Amino acid sequence: MIEELFQIERDAYRDSSVHRVDARVKIILCFAAIVALVAVPYSTMIYTVGAIFFIFFLAFWLATRLPFVAYLKRLAAIMPVWGIIIFFQIFLKNRYYSEYHSLVSLPFGIHIYTESIEFAFILCIKFMLTISFIILLSSTTKMQDLLDGASRIGLPEEFALALGMMIRYLFVFGYMFRKIQESLKTRCFNPFDSRLPYRYRLRQLGYTIGTMFIRSYEQGERVYISMLCRGHGTRSHLFLSKKPLRRGEWSLLIAGLVFIIVMPSCVWLMQFSLF
Amino acid sequence: MHIPDFAIPIYQGVIYWAIALVFVFLAVRWAKNDMNEEKLPLVAVLAAAIFAIQSFNLPVSMGTSGHLVGGALAAIVLGSPFAAVFILTMVLIVQGVLFGDGGITTMGANIINMGVIGGFVGFYSYKGIKAATKSMPVSAFIAAWLACLIPALACAVEMFIAGTFPLMEGLVAMGIYHAIIGVIEGVITVAAIYLIMNVRPDLVDSGVKPLKKVSAV
Repeated sequence: MIEELFQIERDAYRDSSVHRVDARVKIILCFAAIVALVAVPYSTMIYTVGAIFFIFFLAFWLATRLPFVAYLKRLAAIMPVWGIIIFFQIFLKNRYYSEYHSLVSLPFGIHIYTESIEFAFILCIKFMLTISFIILLSSTTKMQDLLDGASRIGLPEEFALALGMMIRYLFVFGYMFRKIQESLKTRCFNPFDSRLPYRYRLRQLGYTIGTMFIRSYEQGERVYISMLCRGHGTRSHLFLSKKPLRRGEWSLLIAGLVFIIVMPSCVWLMQFSLF
Repeated sequence: MHIPDFAIPIYQGVIYWAIALVFVFLAVRWAKNDMNEEKLPLVAVLAAAIFAIQSFNLPVSMGTSGHLVGGALAAIVLGSPFAAVFILTMVLIVQGVLFGDGGITTMGANIINMGVIGGFVGFYSYKGIKAATKSMPVSAFIAAWLACLIPALACAVEMFIAGTFPLMEGLVAMGIYHAIIGVIEGVITVAAIYLIMNVRPDLVDSGVKPLKKVSAV
């Protein structure tokens, strides 16, 4: 995840029309899209809504000028954890279906149900789309801009200050991790080398984790002391200059929100009128 | 044990958010009153460290995911369960918004599980066991183990309420995974507290508040 962190920030530092949009607009639109997708009931209605939202996402992604492979790579990085959980749904019954039809019978009384496969597919669509909007947001907005945007929307000052420092520490952790990893490699130390005594390996790993923690803390402490020297403190207020949204950003925000609210509602209404 | 966006219906997500916000409000109040110049870098580095240890995820077939939590570590080192709520909320915001680990609508449930339950269970079991045994390693180990296991069970119950996983299978799968992961969490928590106490004892909050007023006799 630490390597992914560097990649996300590299993507966020690129330039495109989406990158230049105010962070508040992107946060609100992405969160609204996620809420709308989650609000769609666990039914096949998600197929239509999902297709519409994917086109909506795709339009933004193409405007970012980021390679599509970057999106696929990030999706693939998240997929294994949640993919397995979704996969196991095919063996389970749940309250969203009243009748279950066994498709395949396996030993030990395990069945794969038609309805369960459908349910797993519904979850998969919801998962892929909600994650897509998160990828879009994080790939096009610098972490500091996200933080400033969230602060302008109303994130408490205490969180903003600590989150800002936490983000710095994440990178410090990343650099420390790389440095320590390189120094261990130069000494030909491999924690999985079974020829080394188990206790020795554990002790070395303990030292490594401990050193990483303390060195990161002390590095951060130095930064923070230098901030204090410049007059910063926990009682000082973070100054955020007023940044009114431009006309284009207002238009994008309103049009996006209307789309996010109206489209699923239309699909829902059409479903009733057709059946 | 992060619950993703697809796993809980929206109305349940709203309920969990409403409960979580009460604790987040109290955690912000803790930060306003107790997070001084010395503690702020520690809060941030603990958040970054917990973020790092939580990044080693294992999928749990009948639940969500299995990983270390870190709620007990945060609460013990900073001397308050609200510190754990504060730190875990930050970690979940970064994980949810940047990496898609967890969710936006389910963040309330995740804050309740890892921050509130993890922090309170970790802090009070540490205090209780330490008072009985007088041993830091034993009490920190058990507290961290419980703070890993109990939130996982809570997560299995929430998934059952959501209707996405059966209760018994979920409890067994999440329970077994986190009972094992809890041992690693216990070892890491003891090692981290031991290390901080030895290298930087000034950073550990004993939980004893300084006297504000001394009345003249």
